[in-house]
Amino acid sequence: MRTKQEYLIRYKDGNLYCELADIWIDPSKPVKKALITHAHFDHFTFGCEEYLSTKETAILLKERVGDNIKIKTFEYGEEFKINGINISFHPSGHILGSSQIRFIFAEEKWLISGDFKLQKDETCKQYEIVKTDYLISECTFGLPIFKWDESNKIANDISKWITNSPEKTSLLFCYSLGKAQRLLNEISKTNFKGNIYSNGSIHKINNSYRELGIDIKDTIKIENKKKIDELKGSLILLPPSLSKGYYLKNFKNIQTAFASGWMSIRALRKRSGYDKGFPISDHADWDGILEVVKKSEAKNVFFHHGDSEALTKYLVEEESINVLLFDK
Amino acid sequence: MSLKKFSELFGDLDSINSTNNKIEVLKRYFLSNEPIDNSWAIYLLTGKSNKRFISGRYLKNIFSQIYEYPQWLIDTCYLKVGDSAEVITLLLKNKTTSRNKKLSNISLNELLSKTIPELSKLNEEEKNLQIKNIWERLPEDYHLIFNKILTGTFRVGVSIGLITKSISKLINIDEEIISHRLMGNFNPSIDSYEFLINKNINLQELNSKPFPFLLANNIEDKIFNHSINEFQFEWKYDGIRMQLIKRSGNVSLWTRGQELVNESFPELVEKMSHIKDDFVLDGELLVWNYKEQIAFDFSLLQKRINRKSPTISIQIKYPIIFIAYDLLEINGRDIREIKLENRRIELEKYFSKWQNNTEKNISDIFKICDLIFPKDWPNALTYKEKSRENNTEGLIIKKKTSIYSSGRRKGIWWKYKVDPMQLDAVLIYAKGGSGRRAGLYTDYSFALWKDQELIKFASAYSGLTNIEIKELDKWIRKNTIEKFGPVRSLKPEMVFEISFEKIQISKRHKSGIAVRFPRITKWRKDKKINDADSLENAYELMKKIS
Repeated sequence: MRTKQEYLIRYKDGNLYCELADIWIDPSKPVKKALITHAHFDHFTFGCEEYLSTKETAILLKERVGDNIKIKTFEYGEEFKINGINISFHPSGHILGSSQIRFIFAEEKWLISGDFKLQKDETCKQYEIVKTDYLISECTFGLPIFKWDESNKIANDISKWITNSPEKTSLLFCYSLGKAQRLLNEISKTNFKGNIYSNGSIHKINNSYRELGIDIKDTIKIENKKKIDELKGSLILLPPSLSKGYYLKNFKNIQTAFASGWMSIRALRKRSGYDKGFPISDHADWDGILEVVKKSEAKNVFFHHGDSEALTKYLVEEESINVLLFDK
Repeated sequence: MSLKKFSELFGDLDSINSTNNKIEVLKRYFLSNEPIDNSWAIYLLTGKSNKRFISGRYLKNIFSQIYEYPQWLIDTCYLKVGDSAEVITLLLKNKTTSRNKKLSNISLNELLSKTIPELSKLNEEEKNLQIKNIWERLPEDYHLIFNKILTGTFRVGVSIGLITKSISKLINIDEEIISHRLMGNFNPSIDSYEFLINKNINLQELNSKPFPFLLANNIEDKIFNHSINEFQFEWKYDGIRMQLIKRSGNVSLWTRGQELVNESFPELVEKMSHIKDDFVLDGELLVWNYKEQIAFDFSLLQKRINRKSPTISIQIKYPIIFIAYDLLEINGRDIREIKLENRRIELEKYFSKWQNNTEKNISDIFKICDLIFPKDWPNALTYKEKSRENNTEGLIIKKKTSIYSSGRRKGIWWKYKVDPMQLDAVLIYAKGGSGRRAGLYTDYSFALWKDQELIKFASAYSGLTNIEIKELDKWIRKNTIEKFGPVRSLKPEMVFEISFEKIQISKRHKSGIAVRFPRITKWRKDKKINDADSLENAYELMKKIS
């Protein structure tokens, strides 16, 4: 067996790193070369000399942080070589442009899942099963209590929630990139036909999605001095950062909800301070993680981004799959 | 249809924060359902005496057996969720594949009066099979309610007060009447619901029930501007607040938690039944040191509370007393609307009459509370400071002109408690919380120095803000030395100010001391662990007080 130093990809300074190619994956500090799995800010840091990503991720990133970064882009499935290692991006189904990254070196395959989900989402490419020897998977929702409902069921619940209180303004909080567009797409297929507003950041990302060929409904950008009567019975999409403080004072007679996988748990729902929680996530649930582990045919699995204790024990004891720990 | 409706009601109440909206939702529910189902709904929502049909542990075991699910995985999930009924509900999702949802139209009444009680008659194997059956045939949306009823953990943030308000609005009758009707045991039946919503008030029917208790507020500075003569002063005893009722010859003892506790204190019931008049007294039950005429510690009272039909030797070992504060009803006449100072005169008058005219000696188990007469406010403060000497918690201050209304009304009664005792201690263990605090480390243990060693001296759960809890939770996860199941031992680094009410010798604890009502009053980020107090400091504190 190899020592951990000899693995093709390992943890270094809290980040995934491939020494042979001298390349980092979603690094949290400036480095020379960074592979970016998707355009969420917790996977991106300023100041790297060069970024490599899919075309969509690059466009979304530039839309969010400006043109002042050097990004080399690739199509899904397109292989490129760095120092003898074949690298390629594959759809991960998390948000538009999100990807898994595969490394092949000396006939050994490594796959970094990135953030992923298996559920259908019309605003991005469906997760692609990629075979590998080593799998590095996220496990944000690594407990069997997490089982997602179909997104159209959640969208119908949201629609009912709005239409049952026609005298109120419904504020739905969700991440601006990915979740907001997915919700928008699903909600526009429900019985709710009222106006949908969003704040500036969500509105901007909606436009980018549309420019990238994703057909989602247009939202009305919320103006600070919107007449309160106009907002009655309508839906406003907002990022969670606006849920606290005086921003909410702009509205009257509101009900609030948060769309997140964590909302499956009553205690978390109560503690969140929102009136209601809609459990919908762009990450895989327990069954999703297990499915990917099995279908990837990986002999060895690493977990990161989450509590992996239960998953590890379960895979080792119930499924006899070798789970390795990173030397962090 | 009504389990469905109740399930929706539960969902609605759970996702509404405004009290007024909750009342509206409840009103609507009561109007659109059968009395018997309403009765069960009230029974469940007030959670007064919900029976536990099986334990949370047992529920988890059944699930593990039926679906061949690893027990450890259920336990791990429990740490995140904090409620057995909910964990099993979440794990059951998509597991019950039967399309035969025969129970989708079951009524709340049928479920609660038939389906569930019948489980108790089955042997273990049949019971497990039947529970599986119900899970399979019940639509998924109702699993949570079913599991919660099974485990007797039905709590949705609906207080009795809220139910009271909804019913009161529904039929336009004073809240106090409804509150009175809801006092004591609530047996779900058509009759009990119809009684609740009866627009005609019939005092006879409220016969064995206590009045809603009037509660004291914390002291407010503004009362110091008033003349001291406007108030009546009493000691604040640390016992069980109770109403002692004798109506139509029958004595009943009701705690503030609305429990009938006659069986725990038979000697009191027996003695009081010799009094000729009927009455309702508000007072405190204590274990009494007759030699020194002060109360024994609350811990002795605890030895009596949970023991039904105590033996004579227990009765002698832990002698009880009922100290009356107030007379609320005399021979069928409700005198709660009379001013306190006049009620006190009545109380004293009847007490002396009873002492002289009762064939048995009642003074060894019943007295009325002594009043204190401070000259001015500084003098009142002196009394308050002395309250530890007679084992009381401070003073109760009552407005002489007040009537006996219900609840924690402002501006009528105040509690003026002795300042708590405090020590600075080091956080050494943390344990996951349950319910609303699930998934966070919220149960803490604290230690004091003994030479070079930190010795655990108290556990506390309350006192931190939600923000502080989250911050501390993060710190705990990063600074764990070892995990033992749900408990983590921590790097000694954080110092907290712990306040408590009482400190005494205890052989059961390694530290040799026990404190009452410990709580966190400050996160001393300014202090290093070497600044924390030692056990010696604690012993000194104990000496100072006794």
